[in-house]
Amino acid sequence: MSFLTLKRRHVLIGMAATAALPNLSFAQSSGPVSGGTLKISHSTRIATLNPLILSGPAEYPCIDMIYSRLTRIGFDSQPQPDLAESWEASPDATEFTFHLREGVTFHDGSPLTADDVVATYEAILNPDVPSSATSVLDMIESVEAVDDLTVRFSLAAPFADFPYSTAHSNACIISRAALGDLTALETQANGTGPFKLETYDSARIVRMVKNEDYFVEGRPYLDAVEMMLFPDLAAETANFLSGATDVMLTVQQADYERIAASAGIEAQRVNSGRYVCVVMRQDAEPWNDVRVRRAFSMAVDRQLMVDIILEGLGRPAYDSIVAPELEYATEKPEISYDPEGARALLAEAGYPDGLSLTLVASDRPAIRSQTAIVMQQTAAAAGFDLEIETMPHDTYLANVWMQGPFYIGYWGMQPTIDATYNLLLTSDAAYQDSEWKNDAFDALIEAGRSTTDEAERARIYSEAQALELEDRPYIVPFFEDVLTASSTETHNWQVAPISRYFYIENVWLDG
Amino acid sequence: MRKILSSPNGVAGVILLAIVMIAALLGPWIAPYDPQLFHSQNRLEGPSLDHWLGTDQYGRDLLSRILNGAPATVLFGLGATALGVGVGSIIGVIAGVAGGRADGVIMRILDGMLAMPELLFTLLIVTFLGGGTLQALLAVAVAFTPGMARIARSSVLSVRTREYVLAARARGESRAWIVVREVLPNAIGPIIVEATIRVSFAIMIGATLGFLGLGAQPPSTEWGLMVSEARQFMFRNPWGVIIPGIAIAMTAMGFNLFGDALRDAFDPKRSH
Repeated sequence: MSFLTLKRRHVLIGMAATAALPNLSFAQSSGPVSGGTLKISHSTRIATLNPLILSGPAEYPCIDMIYSRLTRIGFDSQPQPDLAESWEASPDATEFTFHLREGVTFHDGSPLTADDVVATYEAILNPDVPSSATSVLDMIESVEAVDDLTVRFSLAAPFADFPYSTAHSNACIISRAALGDLTALETQANGTGPFKLETYDSARIVRMVKNEDYFVEGRPYLDAVEMMLFPDLAAETANFLSGATDVMLTVQQADYERIAASAGIEAQRVNSGRYVCVVMRQDAEPWNDVRVRRAFSMAVDRQLMVDIILEGLGRPAYDSIVAPELEYATEKPEISYDPEGARALLAEAGYPDGLSLTLVASDRPAIRSQTAIVMQQTAAAAGFDLEIETMPHDTYLANVWMQGPFYIGYWGMQPTIDATYNLLLTSDAAYQDSEWKNDAFDALIEAGRSTTDEAERARIYSEAQALELEDRPYIVPFFEDVLTASSTETHNWQVAPISRYFYIENVWLDG
Repeated sequence: MRKILSSPNGVAGVILLAIVMIAALLGPWIAPYDPQLFHSQNRLEGPSLDHWLGTDQYGRDLLSRILNGAPATVLFGLGATALGVGVGSIIGVIAGVAGGRADGVIMRILDGMLAMPELLFTLLIVTFLGGGTLQALLAVAVAFTPGMARIARSSVLSVRTREYVLAARARGESRAWIVVREVLPNAIGPIIVEATIRVSFAIMIGATLGFLGLGAQPPSTEWGLMVSEARQFMFRNPWGVIIPGIAIAMTAMGFNLFGDALRDAFDPKRSH
């Protein structure tokens, strides 16, 4: 269908060309055009702009536009230079030196120096300042400004993935002056990114305008970007399809096919490591028995879930939280739906009559309760009699999350295998909610951090993943694709699999 | 009953109510399939021989889900109304009988509550109590109370000065005896009529709360929730929205028409 509009546009260009000859060369040049306002629609509130702690799906593109980090994850899932032009590591991966770009200024005109970087990392490491990047940066022992444009990090333990950590979406470089007032960071912004904050209205719109002094020559192309909030999905879709907005940040699976088939729309589907997992707290019965966990795993029909919940826009996962896109990810053996086998295993574990359990799912996003509903159906044949308790998200966070014995979790993709495991599965992980504590696994993750030898790391991480599959700390039924759409007039709109990096400075609109 | 059936509205109301009541009483037993069972090969289909009303996004049979949700929906309407009418009537009768200062204080407070639209008031209460079927039921009952109190009071006031009440008073009967034996039996008509009509509002508000995610929670078969869940798939299978919508409309209309006919039957002035 988009083919049709392309033709229509060509006809229009042709008409313009006959009307005015000089236009001809202009219209035919297919290179980027400067100017225009990009309107991005989203359905979740931008509740804060504090780059240290924000975590909303529509908040990430805002800080990706306003701020810069030392490094940035590219569409190839590798760290790319951002404020740091280059960096080097000591051979034992305990010391990293970053060289900053020359002549970078904040939006208020003040120059960026190594001191601002030091101030930012001190804030991130300060236990009194809430910060989401701490978990991947807490190995930093000291950070110092060698000179105005050089920053050196000394790490308490070797950590080969450090340039991934400095690209953490919440590790935005903030000026020392701005860090003095953390409440102001929620609504104001002074970054070094391609766009400057102009309007912040969390209930309606966030508008950003071009930063003329952006450090990448010739970028951004756009004059302004507007993040428009549509709390109602139907309204968002209608506005996008009618051309009132240029980009729909997130497309729902149910609407994807319809939107992709509409004229003048380009829908994108990016394989990602976003997953739903079943948390089974293992410090109590029945989940302390690996046979029960394995039985439940066999009672899950993964392909059915991908078909029904994701409308086929995803991939079945086989109980590992490590996405296939990540470096060192191993091929996982397929787990087929086998209710008889599950029943037998349950009986062996001492539950010949099956198990009656209450599975808790928060009401947001809907994918949690959908997963629970499908699991209830498929697990019934295997002897698991599940009752579903759906509850408001706030109640869930307060009473069930990190406490309950059996509930549905939902996580975004992490940039590295180390970050993935350190978020949930190591004994001291930030959100360790399964109570699966395995010393051998911890030791492997520790060893993986401290070596820079590729082959050695590959061996270590393959062992760690084998251990995860052996013990099944989580049931992971599927990986969800990231879905987004843009009008055909919008060029270079892309979403990285981890959906935290957008490179909107490269986006341009047809004039 | 003959009076009710003499008007076309009454007949329509009785027929609709009969259908709804049969569904509510027998629904779960006459449903062709398990309401939670997936037919994953037949997702989002329109009406067919296998699935008379089509299927939803999981391939669950819509007819079975509607029938299964009927008792809960009707009970919700009846329960919320009974509670609201009960409490409201007691307050209204007390105010009406007591009169004077007590009446003034009670009625001004209730007037204040009445100033807020019913749905907004319900939403406020649900936000305060948290989501869930029971909370929604309580909220609707509370929202109904002031209006019912008003009707009960006016009904009592009109009876209070009748000759038979004065006669009872002259006989020296106790106040409680007068209220129970003389006032209530003669004031109850308007209350019953109002209650019947209100059931339809209760069902609609209940469905609204379910639709907004503040009432029943998935995988419940509450009709408002069914509309809300199917809304995302409206462009692929409109039946998922239409069917529970019609069910809600039928039930609400049934109670409404029946209530209207009941009022006409009770009112001698309209019965010619």
